[in-house]
Formats: sequence, C-alpha cells, structure tokens
Amino acid sequence: MATSLEKIRSSKVILPKESHWIRKLIKTLSMGKGIENISLVVLSLLFIFPFLWMATTSFKTLPETMLFPPALFPKEWMFENYGEAWRSGPFPTYLLNSIFIAIAIIILQFAVIIPAAYAFAKKQFKGSNVLFGLILLGLMIPTQVTFLPIYLLFSKMGLINTPAALILPFASSSFGIFLLTQNFKQIPNEIIEAAKLDKASEFQIILKILLPIAKPAILTFALFSFIAHWNDYFWVLTMTNSDAIRTLPVGIVNLKDTESIKSWHIIMAGNMILVAPILFIYTLASKHIKSAFTYSGIK
Amino acid sequence: MKKSKKLIAGILSIVMAGTLLLTGCSTAASNANQAPQGDSSTNGSVTLDFWYAVGGRNGEGVQKLIKDFNDSHPNIVVKATYQGDYYANATKLQAALVSGNQPDVVMLEIAQVGQFGNSGALADLGQTFSKEEIGKYQEGLMKNSFVNNKLVAIPFNRSTPILYVNKTMLKNAGLDPAGPKNWDELREYAKRLSNKEKDIYGFETPIDIWFYEAGVFQQGGKIFSDDEKQVAFKDEAGYGIVKLWQDMVKEGSMKTPPGQDYNAWDVSTNDFVNQKVAMIQVSTATLGGLLKSAEGKFELGTAFLPAGKQFGVPTGGANLAVLQKSSEAEKKAAAEFIKWLTNKDNAAFFSEWSGYMPVTQEAVESDKIKALYDKYPQYKTALDQLKHAQARPMIKGYREMQVKIQDELKKAMIDTTITPEQAVNSAAQQVQDLLNKSK
Repeated sequence: MATSLEKIRSSKVILPKESHWIRKLIKTLSMGKGIENISLVVLSLLFIFPFLWMATTSFKTLPETMLFPPALFPKEWMFENYGEAWRSGPFPTYLLNSIFIAIAIIILQFAVIIPAAYAFAKKQFKGSNVLFGLILLGLMIPTQVTFLPIYLLFSKMGLINTPAALILPFASSSFGIFLLTQNFKQIPNEIIEAAKLDKASEFQIILKILLPIAKPAILTFALFSFIAHWNDYFWVLTMTNSDAIRTLPVGIVNLKDTESIKSWHIIMAGNMILVAPILFIYTLASKHIKSAFTYSGIK
Repeated sequence: MKKSKKLIAGILSIVMAGTLLLTGCSTAASNANQAPQGDSSTNGSVTLDFWYAVGGRNGEGVQKLIKDFNDSHPNIVVKATYQGDYYANATKLQAALVSGNQPDVVMLEIAQVGQFGNSGALADLGQTFSKEEIGKYQEGLMKNSFVNNKLVAIPFNRSTPILYVNKTMLKNAGLDPAGPKNWDELREYAKRLSNKEKDIYGFETPIDIWFYEAGVFQQGGKIFSDDEKQVAFKDEAGYGIVKLWQDMVKEGSMKTPPGQDYNAWDVSTNDFVNQKVAMIQVSTATLGGLLKSAEGKFELGTAFLPAGKQFGVPTGGANLAVLQKSSEAEKKAAAEFIKWLTNKDNAAFFSEWSGYMPVTQEAVESDKIKALYDKYPQYKTALDQLKHAQARPMIKGYREMQVKIQDELKKAMIDTTITPEQAVNSAAQQVQDLLNKSK
C-alpha cells in the first residue's frame, strides 16, 4: 500500500512532462501489465477529477454546491447555468478579444522566434553564445518583475488600455527560441547545404526544410503560447480598464461575488466556457506534442 | 569581448527601434479607435467612466441600473467597468491616478475613502449636493463619507455584520431561538450547541478585522485615538474580545475557519448551511444566498452581534466617490448619476436585489422595502442595528495594519497559550510603528 502511494506521489510530479518515464518506472516496480494499467487509470483519474468536478458543479444548483458531504453529480442538470454565466457580462466581446489577442501574439512570436532560432542553431556569428545566454536568462524572469516598468513605460506612451499593451510585451518568447533552436540543431547541416547548392534562399530554407521537419515543436509551442495567453489574467487585468478590450479570464472573475455567497455553479459554467477551446485544440494536437517532447528527448 | 559587447548594443538598439516603430503604429490605430468615445463629444453629451467592485449577482444589479440610467439620460453616457474586488479595484485606481487614466466615478470600500480623500484624489461633493440631499442618507451610513470635513463619498452598497442563527438547532437545544444578546449568553449558547462527537460547533467567526473592530466597539473602545496618531486598542477594551474567543476555542464551542481573507468567510457560510455550526457572524450581504440555501433544511434567523458592555458594529460595503481630476462638466454629471443611483426607487431596488442596506430613509419607507421586510423580517436586523454603528478607521495604510492585527489574532486562536494581552500588544506595537512611519 505504502509503495503504491509513493508511486503515485512521485509520478504525479513528473507526469506532465515525461509520461514515458513514468511508464518505465511503473514497469520496473510492478509485476505485470495488469498492475501497470491499474496504476495508469488511477493516475489519469487524479488528473481528470478536477475537470470532472468542475464540469458537474457547473450543472448544480446553488445549495448543491455547498453540500457536505458533497455530491459528485447534480440531482437535476441545470443547463441554464451556462446561459446565466454568458449573459452576466459582455461575454461575446471577451471571447472575440481572447481569440484576437492570442492569435496576434502567436503570429508575432513566430515572426520573431523562427528566424532567431534558425540563426542560433545554424549560423555562426560573434556573440551568439552570449546572446543565447541572455535569452536563457529571460526564461528566469517572471512577469511580476517586468510588469511595473512596462506599465509605467506604456502609460507614458499612452498604450494602457489598448490591445498593444496586451500583445507587444509578448512579441518574443525566450522559451520559444530555446525550444526551436534545440529542434533546428537536430536537422543535419547536409540537408541545408544541399538546398543551398540548389540555390534556395534563406527564406525558402526556413519554409521548405526547417518548418516541416520541426512541425511538432512548432505546434507544441503554438499550443503552449496559446494556453498561456488564453488563460492570462494578471496581465490583462493590470493593463486594461475597460470591458471593450478585456478577455475571458477577467470576465470569469466577474462572476465572483465579493461580499455574499459565491455562486460556484455559475463560476464553473464560466470556467467550462473558458477551457473548452483549449481542450478541443489539445485533443487535435496531442499526437504532435508527444512527439515533440520524445524527439527532443532522444538528443 | 569588447567587440561582442558592441554587437549586443547594436542589436539591442535595432530591436528597440523596431519596437518603437511597432508601438507607433498601434498608438495611431488605438487613438483612431478611441476618438468616438472621447470625454465629451460635440453634441454636448458627457461620458462618465464608472469603476465598480461587486461581481456576480450584485454586479448584474449594478449593470441593470446603469442600463436604465443610460436609457433615461440622453446627455450622459455611463461606461461601467468591473475592476475586481474592493482591493483590486483600489489598487487599479492607485495605478490609474499615476498614469492619468482614472475614471470619473469610483466605488470605494468605506475604509479606503480616507486614503484617497487625504491624498486629494476625491472631489468635494458639498458643491454638488445640497444640505437637504445629504440629509436623506441614513446617518449611520455617513460616518465614512467625510474627510477633513469635506463630503467626498456617498453610501451605495452598504453592509454590516450580523449574527446568523440556526433557529431549528437553538430550539432543539432548548434555547431562545432569537439568539444570544450578550457575550455571556453567546458563550453559554455556543457551549450547549456544540457536540464534539458529531464535530458540531456552536459558534464560528472569521478572524477578520471587521469582527475585531466590532468586539472593541462592544467594549466601548476605539481602534485609534481621535487625532489618529496613537493606537487606542491596547487596553481592556481591546483584549476583551480576544479573551472571549480564546475561551470559547478552549471550550471547543467556537471554530475559527481556515483560509485567507474572504475564503475564511466562505468556510463559515458553508459550515452554517451544512449545520456544522449553529451561529455565525458574516455580512448582511450574505443573507439572500443563505435564505436560499437554508430553505427546506432549517429555520434561519438573524440577530444583532451580541453586546459586550454595549452593542457595537462597524459598517461595511462601499461608497461612491467622484474623482478630483475630472472636468467640471463631468463632476456635475457624476453628481447627477450618483443622486439617481440612490434615489428612492433605485436604492430600494438595489437593496432588495442584493441584500445590502437601503441607504436612504425614503427607500426604507418605500413599498418595495416594506414588502420585503414583511416577507423576510431577517433583512430588518441590519437596519435596526445601524443605530449602534460606528465609523471604521480611515487611516492611510490601514489595509497593511489590518493584516498585522489579523495575523496576531489568528496566531492566538491556534496557540491558546498566547495571552490576549500578548497578542493585542504585539499587534498594537506593529501598527504603531506603521503609524509613526507614515507621519
């Protein structure tokens, strides 16, 4: 009992990154396939349960959300919770803003990080190591450190409460440059040289050779970036003052009462609306994400 | 090495130039977007930015009022935006005052009025409100409206702590279902209602500054001296409530809910709804939700917070204020907007909708509120209790001081070997240090 508990605990920490690793661990620890499967089911339940809880709560009535001991499923499925959440603010605006800002950020990011990663991976130039080091350093600086100077700068430039304040600070990404550089490095130089012999331009090399090979990494980064900015609450709340340019997460917090009882069923319905696109995109892209990480793992 | 440094500098400057170019474009674009929504357009109408801090159902009530106002006032356009809870809202206002994009009307939690009023950010409403209009508001709710003898805030969504009792549990224990009237009765009731085996407590209160203030007021004490230079709760009046709570915790008749800030309040209401505790003290704004949740399970009653030497409560909730930086036309429109929001019908509507108190006497006497009190007499308790209300401190930096006080009190509830004197003196010392620093 104690060992299986430990198994879960130790594997829980690693699972999001290296599910491959866990399987090995479990295999060595367990006797056969049966135990392995059971452990996997238990593990996946651990991760699915919060989502399930959110989903069922979103269909409950207010008294049911406060019940103790709690009931997992509602007695009556209250579909109108979704309508109530949707009507409680300018949600269509929030949704459009969320989509616009997330996509604008991703496009800008790719315009910056793909050439940068190509240069770091395949070009030799002075100071490339120093610059790459600087970019890695950027990975370690949290947003909370940069938001104050950026806020003051933007307020002087008159950019507070504009879409620019939500997009520009994220025009580049240290993580993206790092991930793509590592991926591009695995592409043999011979292929690029062969293309050069055929008089391919740098642009063509990127478009026709690098991108198709690094597709899993590109998709993974796009998804990571999308999730991060789709869910971003702190930055949007700080940089905006009006509903016209705010995004979904700020709208969801709007559902929370300050002084009175919190309507968890409505809040969870809002959360379901928030995570649904992410879950949908993830199911489409999950195959590529796995391969992106195993690919870079081989290196 | 030198060369590579030069190279870095070169690249950095190119990047910066690029960013400038990009931002240049987007400023132009956003300015174009904003042009039609400027402060005042040519046809003489005024646009007011209004920031508020109540979400959920209460926020919906605010939105409904705004829509009605805009429909009935062709010359004024109010753009209302929710800015998070009271604290997030105040932080946003502070940042906005620095960068110059502050709203025209703002909702301020009552203890925050002093901070913004003292710094000169709030407009003097004495010029736009007549004496008669000011007299309409309930006196008990006007105690956090004046800064340096100037009227800077008008009550809007106002609450006060009240005692909620599970009448069914009290009846079953052979107690008066009206609830305890003083501290001795509270202790006695809680003891008899507790049941260790079933994990049931008689009484539960968040260890929050609101209830500590109430406790000090009930002993006839004060939080600060009148000149606001000295801590004033370092005496018997300040120790009393801590001693009561500690005694009850030791007897196993009081539960202190875990959780930061409002999370602890949620634990209290949850325990109460699930009948794990028989009496709680939380905001009157919770009544609507509790009535709904208790329906069919138990009989819900409300009572004054039990008296120490006397009855005493702070009020809570938020006031509306107008910003000093707004133009004269905007200030005039803002006053009209606030007067409209708190007129008889609207004050009654919002009180019924939310459970906050009706802020004017005429709203109390309206048919709507009378009908509400007939149907749910529980709502009336908060109003009756108002005559015992005292002002909350409005000192600059009080939020930070609150946290110090709460931390010491929470410690004393977990480790009951800390005496009330030790806990309160330590908190008082820290608050005095902060006071001295801010002078």
